[in-house]
Amino acid sequence: MTLLTATFYYMAAASIASALLAVTRKNPVHSMLWVLALFLHVAGIFLLLAAEFLAAVQVIVYAGAILIFYLFVVMVLDLPEEEARPRFGNHWPFAAAAGLSFAALAWLAQAGTHDPVGAVAAPAARSLAAEGPPQGSLAEVGMALFGPFALPFEIASLVLLAAIVGAIVIARRRPAES
Amino acid sequence: MIVPVETVLGLSAVLFGIGVFGFLARRNIILMLVSVEVMLNAVNLSLVGFSRHFEDPGGQVLALFVIAVAAAEAAVGLGLVIALNRNKPGAGVADLTELKW
Repeated sequence: MTLLTATFYYMAAASIASALLAVTRKNPVHSMLWVLALFLHVAGIFLLLAAEFLAAVQVIVYAGAILIFYLFVVMVLDLPEEEARPRFGNHWPFAAAAGLSFAALAWLAQAGTHDPVGAVAAPAARSLAAEGPPQGSLAEVGMALFGPFALPFEIASLVLLAAIVGAIVIARRRPAES
Repeated sequence: MIVPVETVLGLSAVLFGIGVFGFLARRNIILMLVSVEVMLNAVNLSLVGFSRHFEDPGGQVLALFVIAVAAAEAAVGLGLVIALNRNKPGAGVADLTELKW
């Protein structure tokens, strides 16, 4: 087992542990901090899978922006009574069964098939890289983002614009009706 | 590739299951949204694993779109939480029974 493989298994174990802690902690702020650990470990796995740009985006957008937003809302709302209430609903065994069976199903789907993913020959579809000198992961992602995925990229910006306007409209304080 | 793609997919499945459990079991709206983020991260992980296995950058682009949609979901979801909190303090889903009759 090489050092990189050992690093991957450490990252995998740490992300599973922090995800479990994140969904089971009673204090919402503790949950947020464990989710932060999960995001950083997933970013590390992205690095090991040669997705450097996505690792940077994961740290900046997820750990930097989205998580701070969640923490901000938790602190603004000030939920002292949440500490005293049960953290799970009465139906939590069913929820655990649903989560376990989904994970088992997905695991079996990738492990138990007669034609596993690893057996499918990886296509030599390096058309972008084959034309020029070898490019890094970021260059390939950039070429794909502004080549075949240009229209979805623009639509994603529209989705973000709609979300910004919608969030402002929803969370705005209504003027008092007289 | 340092690990086979099946390992990455298995890790993704486990993380997604944890997210499903959190979303179904927690009573706090904010923590339910956080569980959704855990599930989205699991999906991103499998997309990046496929992208690495098939040597195709399209998977990473899709993961980028998933991150954009997750940001939009966080903004709208937390806006809803703030609006609900303005009507009635607290973030428990069991309290939201105005539409019941």
